[in-house]
Amino acid sequence: MSSFLLQTILNGILAGCIYSLFAMGLTLIYGVLNFVNFAHGELIMWGAYFLYFLMEKPLSLPLSFALLPALFLTVLIGLGSDRLIFKPLRKANRLTLLITSLGLSFLLRNGAQLFWGAEIRTYGLEIKKGMRFLGELFWGAEIRTYGLEIKKGMRFLGVSITSNQVAIIVVSVLCIFLLYLFFYKSRMGKSMRAISDDLELARVMGIPSDRTIQWTWVIASSLAGLGGILLALDTNLHPGMGLINLVKAFAATLLGGVGNLWGALFGGMVIGLAENISIWILSPGYKDAIAFGIMVVMLLFRSSAVFSSKE
Amino acid sequence: MDLFLHLSVMSLIYIIFALSLNLEIGYTGLFNFGHVAFFGIGAYTSALLTLHHFPFEISLLVALFLSGISGFLLSLPSLRLRGDFFGIATLGFGEIIRMVFQNEVWLTKGPMGLPGIPKPKLLSVRFATLPQYLLLTLGFAILTFLILRGIIRSPFGRVLKGIREDEIAAEALGKNVYRFRIKSFVVGSIFAGLAGVLWGHYTTFISPNDFTIIETVLVLLIVVLGGKGTEWGPILGAILLIFFQESLRFLRLPPEYSRYLAPLQQMIFGALLILMMLFRPEGLIKERREHGCLS
Repeated sequence: MSSFLLQTILNGILAGCIYSLFAMGLTLIYGVLNFVNFAHGELIMWGAYFLYFLMEKPLSLPLSFALLPALFLTVLIGLGSDRLIFKPLRKANRLTLLITSLGLSFLLRNGAQLFWGAEIRTYGLEIKKGMRFLGELFWGAEIRTYGLEIKKGMRFLGVSITSNQVAIIVVSVLCIFLLYLFFYKSRMGKSMRAISDDLELARVMGIPSDRTIQWTWVIASSLAGLGGILLALDTNLHPGMGLINLVKAFAATLLGGVGNLWGALFGGMVIGLAENISIWILSPGYKDAIAFGIMVVMLLFRSSAVFSSKE
Repeated sequence: MDLFLHLSVMSLIYIIFALSLNLEIGYTGLFNFGHVAFFGIGAYTSALLTLHHFPFEISLLVALFLSGISGFLLSLPSLRLRGDFFGIATLGFGEIIRMVFQNEVWLTKGPMGLPGIPKPKLLSVRFATLPQYLLLTLGFAILTFLILRGIIRSPFGRVLKGIREDEIAAEALGKNVYRFRIKSFVVGSIFAGLAGVLWGHYTTFISPNDFTIIETVLVLLIVVLGGKGTEWGPILGAILLIFFQESLRFLRLPPEYSRYLAPLQQMIFGALLILMMLFRPEGLIKERREHGCLS
């Protein structure tokens, strides 16, 4: 039973790593640009689909070659949406931005559906074929696949972990470390934090806000794209994956305090763990609702700075 | 002719749906992105009750009551959030309600949906044919329009507008902003439930897939396109968009192209939302600001 517990915690950390990447991007955009980007979920989804596109025919690139171009394309979408849509609305009120980003999210989501259809897809990677079921938890630790072949992951303390999952954890930790270096050691990272704290003051101090905003989009889009790719490696791709992960990222953001980068990391972990532990009690169909539940409970019992209705 | 009647019924249902959202978005400044949840609750409640042979009158009342109660319960925690966070919280709620429809198979038959929802019989008059149903929806639409207009023009409605314009000023005048918002939200939810009831009995088949974010975006676009915060804006928006959407269904496209139609149409909706915000955020009909109003 203890290996069962360990497995749940491992799965939770795994999901938590990915959610943290989503939440950190979302909170970064919020901190610098002061609005919740509904289209963030769609950057997640497009990142995953770009990789799919590059790895499938006719290009059939290997993962290592396809990864950076996929992230680059995701960043292009982020930068493009800023240049074409959000820049002209820089002075608009928050609710205008909200509707705009919802429209953008819808546009991007259906764009993906137009190209790739609504069906669930997976990367045809040899590391692990087919999609993994939640049922894995109930039927032991083997990875059951659609191809009817059962692949065992590595076993460690009675816990199974696939090489994909090891990669997910390593990449996320690396990413978080790089982000730390960026925000605390580089000039651009410091500018971002300054703008996030107080835009006016940052301007007065001569921090170029336009360039900083562009970099913010670059970082947030690559985090979203990378997170989306990792998530799709572990599970699968479908056009609806953006929306539900946006809600999770948002819950993680709220949990950690909006605009707080390390808070987002913490919130993502909490949600990842809570989701996986919830499977013990609730039907797996509600796994995606856990994030929302946590959010509601938190709103009811905790009134942090987020909740003052004052701006 | 049947096509025209069908379009009219659909437009009227969406007019009710959009008017209820307009009370929240247009007049109170509440950006509810989960409005479809109440549409769904209304549709499912009434469908389930009438399928279990309850009379339509009772099903309707229970459906409206449940929509209102769930609106109340959702608003308690989420209205503590500031505007944009409220938006995402309601968006999440919309998704969760869909999950409930999908997972509570014992009640809702899950993804199979509920077929054979009977046509309503109100005060011993059966509304079975298309023209009869049109009359029914028209009656409810006029009723909704009048009630919501009454609310908006009343002192209560003026407080709502005051909150939208400047909540701190409203608070300073001794208005409990939180409570006014809850009331507005509950009323909006009830009428969204009404739209859902009418829709469910009209299509006679509902499934969880009918209550996705697509509906939310459509009704939001209706309000934004027509002109939020105006009495006639949502009506204009609903007629334009429903005629556009439903007439696409009757395009004779070769089957290999038809699978591109739905995403394309929704991309147009998304793009329209963006374009409206960029170039005409006030919508086709502009809200007339009363003299002396802030802004």
